[in-house]
Amino acid sequence: MRPDLCLRDAGRRYGLRGPWVLRGVDLTVAPGRLVRIEGANGSGKSTLLRLLAGIDALSEGRVTGRPRTAYVPERFPPALPFTAAGYLTHLGTVHGLPRATAARAAGEWLERLGAAAYAETPMARLSKGSSQKVAVAQALLGEPELLVLDEAWTGLDTAARAELERAVAERTAAGGSVVFVDHDPRRLAGLPDATYAVRDAGVVRQEPSRAPDASGPHVLVEVQGPPDGRLPEDVRRTVTSAEETGPGRYRLRVPAPHSDVLLRTLLTARPPWHVVSVTPRTAAPGRHG
Amino acid sequence: MTALMRYHAALLLRSQRWLPPFLLYAAFLAISIQAGQPVLDSLGYTAAALLPVAAWLARVCVTGEPDAARGCVAAAAGPGRAHVACLLVALAGATALGTLAILVVTLLSDPVASDHSTRVPLAAACGAGLLAALACALLGTAVGALTSRPLLRSPGRAVLALLLAALLSLVATGSPAQAAVQGLVTGSQRGTVPLPLLPLAAAALVMAAALALAGALASRRSP
Repeated sequence: MRPDLCLRDAGRRYGLRGPWVLRGVDLTVAPGRLVRIEGANGSGKSTLLRLLAGIDALSEGRVTGRPRTAYVPERFPPALPFTAAGYLTHLGTVHGLPRATAARAAGEWLERLGAAAYAETPMARLSKGSSQKVAVAQALLGEPELLVLDEAWTGLDTAARAELERAVAERTAAGGSVVFVDHDPRRLAGLPDATYAVRDAGVVRQEPSRAPDASGPHVLVEVQGPPDGRLPEDVRRTVTSAEETGPGRYRLRVPAPHSDVLLRTLLTARPPWHVVSVTPRTAAPGRHG
Repeated sequence: MTALMRYHAALLLRSQRWLPPFLLYAAFLAISIQAGQPVLDSLGYTAAALLPVAAWLARVCVTGEPDAARGCVAAAAGPGRAHVACLLVALAGATALGTLAILVVTLLSDPVASDHSTRVPLAAACGAGLLAALACALLGTAVGALTSRPLLRSPGRAVLALLLAALLSLVATGSPAQAAVQGLVTGSQRGTVPLPLLPLAAAALVMAAALALAGALASRRSP
């Protein structure tokens, strides 16, 4: 198990005598955790993300347990002399993949994000949304231990946004940490394990807002296991509620981004569970059953 | 490191921003070097002119990557390593260019000393020219590394500092590049082929120090 990523009494300022953008920051990101960073424009959110991603060094304080990291910037420039697939293959090898694996992963991620048609397009000719998809793909194809998303959803179309939410769920389910900033308060609502607010150059932990019934879209999954079957531990952690409706039969309520992860866990369990039905619910929570 | 260098090399080659320094070098050599001149003199010119070209190439490499793209690579590989890889690509480019130029100039020149009568062994002269060119490429890349991001970020000041530092490296006594070039010129006057190992070692040390400094500052003075 890799250690937690810890910032201790961390500070950052630009220049030797510049004002402190951040100071006295204590923050821990454990494996498998989803962390949301909030704050007003210009409060230092992006600076905090750059410190966590290891792009900028601390001006004071300590950082320990740096994992393999990938970063999605807020605005991604198309001014790179590569095709989308060519750039992603290069970045895949920088992330440590062998060249053939990187090329395959590049194709897969472009397809998942709905940009497969642009694989051979020069990046200078990509639209803003398509180049943001390339930015997202470069971060995901290395399966990083820490994924840092600086408003990565901005500019993506609806399908790609949902795909990125599912990708975040996959990363955390696989033991990776994800730290994100997004201006939309409903983004991954109810899912973060911790929320921090950046305010007055400091970072404050917000009260846990994880309601048992999160407000985002949900999926109801009915499953049948062995008559005396107990739900696997991974399933219990993913679902917001589990109701036993018969011997070995459960009705599970899961946030929409996590539904694929849940089904994969159930179907690959030993012995595998039988999925009876899957029903998406966009209605207000708490009124099912 | 290999992946980083491949990425930066592809970035440099495809951006075509290497073309202006290469063309400048070719133009300078075409004007100042004629076939049939004493070999060591011509090699001295060839090596000396490589220094500002190497510095320019280093600047091209360091400034060629957009900030956001640099952030992605820095997160994956570490900002220091990414910056060092970028500078090593610049050094490789300058070295390749210098090697090619030295070989061509050796073939075009006469194997004689400045007096046009004393014979100079061509193979040894070529070797000395290659070593001197490598010293100039190393020092030029160091100059480029120390006069661009992350040390100097304002383009105006950076370009001025680059020109000044390149000029000083070529003329100031005690500079490894000056010593290497001077060795070739003196050798031509005396009819002996020098072996500029000491200037080469000194230039390598300067380059290593510049790499270490620029790499260490890459994460501290950004964006």
